[in-house]
Amino acid sequence: MTHLSLPYITFGLAALLVGAVITFRRAELGSGRKAATTSTFAALLCFALALWEVNSNHGVRLLDPWLSWFEADALDSVPMVFFAGLTLLFLALAPKRDTGGRALAGMLLLATATEVTYAASNLTTLAIGWWLTCVPFVFSFFGSPPARRVVSIFLIGSSLALTFAIVALHATSLDDFSHIGHLSMWMMVVAVALRKGLFPLHSWVVTSFEHGPLLPTALLFNGHLGALLIARSEAVTLPGFAHQVLDWLSIAALVTALIASLRGCAEKKPRRLLAFICISQASFILVGLATANAEGITGALIHWLVVTAASSGLIAIVRILEVRVMDVMNPDNNLGLAVKAPRLATFFLICGLALIGLPGTLGYCAEDLLFHGALASHPYLGIALLVATAFNAINLIRLFGLLFLGVLPKHVIDIPDALPRERWPLVACVVFLIFGGLCPSIAIRWRADAANIIETALGHGKGHPHHP
Amino acid sequence: MTPETLLITVVAIPGALFLLLGLIWLIGGHLPEKTIARLTKIAYVVMTLMVVVLGWKMWQKGATSIHVNLGNWFTVAEYGFPLSFVVDHLSLPFVGITVILAGIVGSFSVRYLHRDPGFQRFFLLLHLFSFGALVIFTADSLDLLVGGWEIVGITSVLLIGFFQYRSEPVRNALRVFGTYRIADLNILIAVFLAHHWFGTASWSGMFTGEWPGHINNLNGSAATVIAVLLVFAASGKSAQGPFCGWLARAMEGPTPSSAVFYGAISVHAGAYLLLRVEPLIRSSAIATGLVIFIGITTAILSTLIHRTCADAKTSLAYASQTQLGIIFVEIGFGWTTLAIIHIVGHAMVRTMQFLRSPSMLHDYHRVHAAAGGHFEPTGDHYESLLPKSVQIMLYRIALGRGFYDALVDRFLIAPVVAFARLLSLAEPGWVKVSTSASSHPAEMPGALTQMITKSEPKA
Repeated sequence: MTHLSLPYITFGLAALLVGAVITFRRAELGSGRKAATTSTFAALLCFALALWEVNSNHGVRLLDPWLSWFEADALDSVPMVFFAGLTLLFLALAPKRDTGGRALAGMLLLATATEVTYAASNLTTLAIGWWLTCVPFVFSFFGSPPARRVVSIFLIGSSLALTFAIVALHATSLDDFSHIGHLSMWMMVVAVALRKGLFPLHSWVVTSFEHGPLLPTALLFNGHLGALLIARSEAVTLPGFAHQVLDWLSIAALVTALIASLRGCAEKKPRRLLAFICISQASFILVGLATANAEGITGALIHWLVVTAASSGLIAIVRILEVRVMDVMNPDNNLGLAVKAPRLATFFLICGLALIGLPGTLGYCAEDLLFHGALASHPYLGIALLVATAFNAINLIRLFGLLFLGVLPKHVIDIPDALPRERWPLVACVVFLIFGGLCPSIAIRWRADAANIIETALGHGKGHPHHP
Repeated sequence: MTPETLLITVVAIPGALFLLLGLIWLIGGHLPEKTIARLTKIAYVVMTLMVVVLGWKMWQKGATSIHVNLGNWFTVAEYGFPLSFVVDHLSLPFVGITVILAGIVGSFSVRYLHRDPGFQRFFLLLHLFSFGALVIFTADSLDLLVGGWEIVGITSVLLIGFFQYRSEPVRNALRVFGTYRIADLNILIAVFLAHHWFGTASWSGMFTGEWPGHINNLNGSAATVIAVLLVFAASGKSAQGPFCGWLARAMEGPTPSSAVFYGAISVHAGAYLLLRVEPLIRSSAIATGLVIFIGITTAILSTLIHRTCADAKTSLAYASQTQLGIIFVEIGFGWTTLAIIHIVGHAMVRTMQFLRSPSMLHDYHRVHAAAGGHFEPTGDHYESLLPKSVQIMLYRIALGRGFYDALVDRFLIAPVVAFARLLSLAEPGWVKVSTSASSHPAEMPGALTQMITKSEPKA
């Protein structure tokens, strides 16, 4: 087994942890931001170097030389860099009131846990990372918002299901898939469904968006650990039954995409509307992963990046507006904030349109590949995805109209537009989405090796039907 | 410059302008009105000259078309998104009217929107629109056409909501966007089905030969499904048939945008699509019948409504819709050359009418004065030939604009919203909060908001 030339993953994770420890004790709001961003930037560099090394070795799996529980390969190295970048974005963008010592430490701990899950070289490490993501919510790192209990229950439930699945898998052999093996696959599906909020378990994500701390919730949501688990499962040659189970999961994801997009039509609160759009669009990833063809899988892996960047931009802007104008929480009418904050409006629109796949953005390429893949695999799936996108687009423009268009409330005399601290991270997001769309081959190249591995494994698995 | 380079440059210029102006503005830069106006005028003059040279070179060489293949935009396994462009006897007139009319409208808007807070935004959207329209008219495949199609759609919606500080434009923009999305679903499904069933969505794969006179390669019921979907997509863009209600709502935008979108270019994109896939439509009796039926019914309804409209722009919108209905009928009967002449003429006249509409009263008085002050309406209309009871019935239908909005609200939007509300039954109320806002202190608005709230003037 080959190793990375330096322990980049250990360094990256250590940097995040050190940042969490330093910021934890800072009592004054905003005082820990510099330490947190510095440590995250250091982690980003480490993960970027690991990615570079993986790419130089044509996507081969490389173990960390110090801690062999961690690895970097074609599937996880890009999300690792991306997630570190996302954490950096949120730390830079977070309004001052969200930058208490515990809150920053919680975000860094969440980032560490997610990176551990990505970098896990075995199922046990993956489960540890999965469990660790619950810690900041269970131990009130973000205060005690009304949704803390429900978020904690679902996260723990998901972790328990995954742990059960892993224990059951260890108890049986993959070649001889017994009833326990079947059960373990179903428990894995339950873990994913709970974590990703698949219908009818989606309501906790909506509640978390509405009543929870918005930026940490976005960080939790954009880890896409459910998609990671499925991609990891598909990347190994599974028996036929496991593929049937995963097909059921993709159908559940499709139903979620459709229902969340429809459900959004009856929503008026920005946070809830945003939650439905994000849930629906994120469900496309699971559908794409189940297509078993190169177009669908590559589309899903790129859509993963698009959803992460675009939804983070949207969520961050909503949070920025909330601290400036009270009515954003639950507006009676359109707020017309574009007059006062035209740049935030533009960033919001670009991120949103990229999320729903406007031509010229990376979202368009991702969805084009995804739809082609889905149509080739299951024609009706492809058409249903198109319908979901249409509703999501309508919901997004509704949300945009609600926040930025219309008559400005009389009491909003003056609010600042995007501050320099907010502007540059949002520009980075927008540049990624637009230039990624103009030159999508670069993003496709990043994900091609991972897509090939998954496609090969799926093709192999589906070619060998299981005989119990 | 070779014709190929000319073609690509013409398409790329507005896109590059949009990116440049947009990026400068996003990172905090500000360009004065004069600079934006000069850049716009220079760009459109250059583009017009390039199109003239392109046409001249084609004529000189006797070429029926020029194809430019830039390879694939992106490729995965065997699927590639073709980045190829074409200019032929169909697309050249459309490219010509796009650069000329967008240039004229741009030049007009420099004065019309002088010192408007949305000056820069308008020009950004105008460039993006021109780029989208040029992509539609030069795309060598349905895949690429969809790209331009969606760009034109979103710019159209953003310009309808241009006066964002009023509630009506915002409401109408959302309604138009919803209509567009439902209509665009048809073209998207058609593209994917074309790939799925026939393995191609490029013009060269779907048809053999050059326009006009190209032969359809797609056959069977699958081809009929694709043709019908494309007819509905074209109807959406051209405000025809089941999508005929949005054009009047789109008049909320600034007059120059109404001229370029709903008089000149955008509404004709649907007709362009039908002309491009005309052999496919002609090969299916269902699709042909549908085009003619949609065209006739929309033309009749729109001309009736047009006669009862009280304001100039709405009246012009329904007049446009009527002409587009007639153009659809011409395409349905296979009179493609007549349809192109009709489109070009209609685009020119309608743009002029839209641009003159703010001065319509002034114009009317001038004509009245020129006629010696005896310019009285005669009251002679074709509808006066009908029986009185029929006239009254038609008047009621026209006054209610065909009851289109009421029907859509009742039978389409209301059931969807009701179903969406029904779905909320699957969502238990996990959290009970006393106020509508979050009770978590960290999530509550801070000092700045409180200060702003306190400064609310007392009634």
